[in-house]
Amino acid sequence: MKLKEWVKTLLFYEIALGMKATLSHLLRYKPITLQYPHEKKQLPSNYRGMLALLRYDDGTEKCVGCDLCEAACPSRVIRVVSAEVPGEPTKRYSKEYYMDMTRCLFCGLCVKACPVDALGMTQEYEWAVYDKRQLQLNKQQLLAIGDRNYPIREKRLEFQHPNVAYFNVGFKDIPQKE
Amino acid sequence: MDTGIRLALTLSQIGAVMVAVLLTVAALTLLERKVLGWMQDRMGPMEVGPYGILQPVADGLKLFFKEDIIPAGANKFMFSMAPVLSLVPALIGFAVIPFGPDWTVDVGGVNFKPFVITDINIGVLYILAFASIGAYGIILGGWSSNSKYSLLGGLRSAAQLISYELNVGLSIVGVLLLSSSLSLVAITNAQAGGFWNWYFFGGGGFPQAVAFVVFIISSVAETNRTPFDLPEAESELVAGFFTEYSGMRFAFFFLAEYGNMILVSCVATVLFFGGWHAPFEFLQGPESIHWATGIFWFVFKVSSFLFLFFWLRATLPRLRYDQLMRFGWKVLLPIALANIVLTAIIAFLFPGS
Repeated sequence: MKLKEWVKTLLFYEIALGMKATLSHLLRYKPITLQYPHEKKQLPSNYRGMLALLRYDDGTEKCVGCDLCEAACPSRVIRVVSAEVPGEPTKRYSKEYYMDMTRCLFCGLCVKACPVDALGMTQEYEWAVYDKRQLQLNKQQLLAIGDRNYPIREKRLEFQHPNVAYFNVGFKDIPQKE
Repeated sequence: MDTGIRLALTLSQIGAVMVAVLLTVAALTLLERKVLGWMQDRMGPMEVGPYGILQPVADGLKLFFKEDIIPAGANKFMFSMAPVLSLVPALIGFAVIPFGPDWTVDVGGVNFKPFVITDINIGVLYILAFASIGAYGIILGGWSSNSKYSLLGGLRSAAQLISYELNVGLSIVGVLLLSSSLSLVAITNAQAGGFWNWYFFGGGGFPQAVAFVVFIISSVAETNRTPFDLPEAESELVAGFFTEYSGMRFAFFFLAEYGNMILVSCVATVLFFGGWHAPFEFLQGPESIHWATGIFWFVFKVSSFLFLFFWLRATLPRLRYDQLMRFGWKVLLPIALANIVLTAIIAFLFPGS
C-alpha cells in the first residue's frame, strides 16, 4: 500500500484524475449558461418581485388608505398619507403612497395585510438603477407597475358581492393631483 | 550595402515575429477564457462579436482608455519602467527560437536565415538570462508602487521566480549534455528524423521525460500561472505586485505573462519535442515544403503546450506559499540534479548513442 501510494504520487495520479475530469467536460460540452439579457428564466409562479398598487376594472384604485400595510411592513418601506374624500366624511383614500424599494425585503407581509387586495407582488425583478432615488416610488409609479402586470382586473367589491356596502371611492370623485 | 540589406531583413523578421507573438497574445486572452469556460460548463465571453471573438479588441480599447493612475509617493520613474522591464525580457527571448528549418538563403550576397532571427551559440543561456531579468520588473513594480501589499506581492513573486528559475536551468542541463550544444538551432537539428529522436522520448541515449516534467512544472511557476499564481493571490494579497497599476501599464504585465507563456512553450518544444520536426519523417513532406510543414508542426506543438497551461488552470487549485517553496526546493531540485547525474553517466558510458 505504501509503495502503491508512492508510485501514484510519482506519476501525479490524482492530478491526472482531475485533468481527466476537466477534459471530459470539454469534450462533452453542455453549457448550463443562461444568456441572461437575451434569454430569461421562467420564474416560479410564487415569485415575489416588485410591489404594485392595483385597480378595479373601472379604473378605481383599490386602496382605501387604511395604513395596515404601513403597519405590517417590518422594514418601514411604505408610507401612506390618507385623506377623506371631500363631501363624504366616512370614505377615505390614499392621497399619497410612497414605497422606498431600497429597503424592501419582498416578504409580502403588506400584501397579506391589505384588506381589499390593493397591493400585489409582480414578477418584475430588473430594477437595477444608477440612482437610488429612482427606487423611491410614488403612487403613480406603483399604479403603473400594477397596470402593466395585472391586465385582468377585478370587479368592484360591491358588484362581486351584492350585500357588501359601497365603501370605496369612485375614480371620478378623487380630486386629481395637480 | 550588405549591412543595409542584413539590417532590413533582420528588422522585417523581428517585426514579423513581434506581430505574430502579440496577435497570439490577443488570441490567447480570448482562448483562455473560452477554454476555461468550456471546461467549467460555461460559455466564456459571448457578447462582443459572433461568439465573442472581438473580446480582445474590446479589452484592448478598455485598457487604452482607462485612467492611468500613479499613486502618491510612488517612485514615478521605476513605476513606469517596471512594466516595460517585465515585458521586454518576455519578448526578447523569441530572438533565438527557430521557427522552421535551418535554411540559409542568399539575399543579395547576404547569408540570411529566414526562420530564426539570430542563431547564437549560447541561445539557451540567453533565454534563461533574460527570463531572470523579468523578476526585476515584478519586484520593482511592487516596490515602486508605495503600497505594502504590492511590496509583499512583489517579494513573494520574486522569491517564487528565483526558486523555480533554478529548476528550469537544471532540468535543461540534461538536454544540453546530450546535444552538447547551447544553440537552439543545433538542438533542434539533433532531434531530426522521427519522434524517437526527440529528447523527451530518448533521443541521444537517455529519455529526458523526468527533466521535461520538472521543466514544465517550473515553467508554470515561473510564468506565474495557476496553480502557482501566487502573485495574484487575491485572498492574501490584494492583487499582488500590480495592485496599484491601471490601464496600459497593467496591460504590459498581462502581455508579459502571456509572452512568457508562449516563450516557455516554444522552449519546451525546441528542447524536448524536436522543434519544427514532424513526429515521422514522411509527415514532413518533400524538402521544398519543409518550411510550411515545419512551421505547422512548431505551431501545433506550441499550441498543445499552451492548451496544457489552460488545462492546468482549469483543474488545479492554488498552492500555499510554503508548499510551493518546499516543492520547488525539496522535490524538484533533487529530481533535476539526479537527472543530470544519470544523464551524464549514460552520456559518458555510451557516447554518441
